[in-house]
Amino acid sequence: MAGSAPRPAPDDPVQEVALWDPLLRGFHWTLALFVSLGWCLGQFGPAKMTLHFWCGYVVIGLLLFRLVWGFIGPAPARFSHFLRGPGAVAGYMRGIFLREPSHWPGHNPLGALSVIAMLAVLAAQVSSGLISDPDDYINIGPLAGYVSPALRAKAVGWHEVGANLVLILVLLHVAMILFYRFWKREDLVRPMLTGRKQVRDRGTD
Amino acid sequence: MRQILTAASLAALSLLQPLAAMADDDAIEQAIEARHGFYNMLAINMATLSGMAKGDIAYDEAVASRAGANIEALTHYDLPSLFIEGSAHGQAEDSAAKPEIWTNLDDFKSKFAGLVEAATGASEAVKGGQDKVGPVVGKLGAACKACHDVYREKS
Repeated sequence: MAGSAPRPAPDDPVQEVALWDPLLRGFHWTLALFVSLGWCLGQFGPAKMTLHFWCGYVVIGLLLFRLVWGFIGPAPARFSHFLRGPGAVAGYMRGIFLREPSHWPGHNPLGALSVIAMLAVLAAQVSSGLISDPDDYINIGPLAGYVSPALRAKAVGWHEVGANLVLILVLLHVAMILFYRFWKREDLVRPMLTGRKQVRDRGTD
Repeated sequence: MRQILTAASLAALSLLQPLAAMADDDAIEQAIEARHGFYNMLAINMATLSGMAKGDIAYDEAVASRAGANIEALTHYDLPSLFIEGSAHGQAEDSAAKPEIWTNLDDFKSKFAGLVEAATGASEAVKGGQDKVGPVVGKLGAACKACHDVYREKS
């Protein structure tokens, strides 16, 4: 979508740059923590789901931060920087099985789809949770009273489907990290911890 | 004569066949309606208790105890007997009963036994102050949830 994003060419030199800003990294790991915690509490937690609810509220705050950061954050965090058309995605995928690091300066065009899917599914998940009423008189979404009885009952089903989608996306995310680590020999975890990444680019603006 | 009688009774039987099927449908429909009635009565009394627990309804010992007693009384009805074959979601209209109920009937019955247990003594347990209601609602709600999670269709 944005034409100005840097496009690495094979002959550009590889250099280590500060790619992920501290707030983005904090967002990522806090989100990972609270989504995991909320998911496990939902699945295996106590019948009274107070802690699960609080995980959801934290996730709402994090999603709002990410939305804002996607417009005003540093370049690699901006949606305009990593959202690309189908052509760019197809182009990136042509080289995906090459046994070499991507050295991509940010979210690559394919990974960007995963980022958007993750944010969208989580937004849907917290929304359905807010209006859910599972008819057990101990767990009622704080906004369930504002929607019709039919809708607040349906939302419980959506929330269940959503939990499965979240699990699938997280497993896919982890699987791709492992794929990059062991097939493409590129460590994507360390950059999300330190912020620094080997990229083929003239810098990150 | 005998042949005529046989033919006539066969004809009568074939006429009765759809009637029998209708009676069957009727039994299913009745069972589902009865289930909904059961849950409605449960819901009315649960709403009273959870309203008091949250402070939305002013605590009244007599009212709370009566709601508790109603719930106890309801759980003395053999609810699983209303889950007759053919009354699952997808088989009958207006049913939220997952088909898994009939493949795990013993587990389903144990979920109801969980509600019976949670309800036991509720009429006494809610006496003595507003703070006594919450734990009772918590126990009952956990029993509701345990069964809804597995055996209630959410669509």
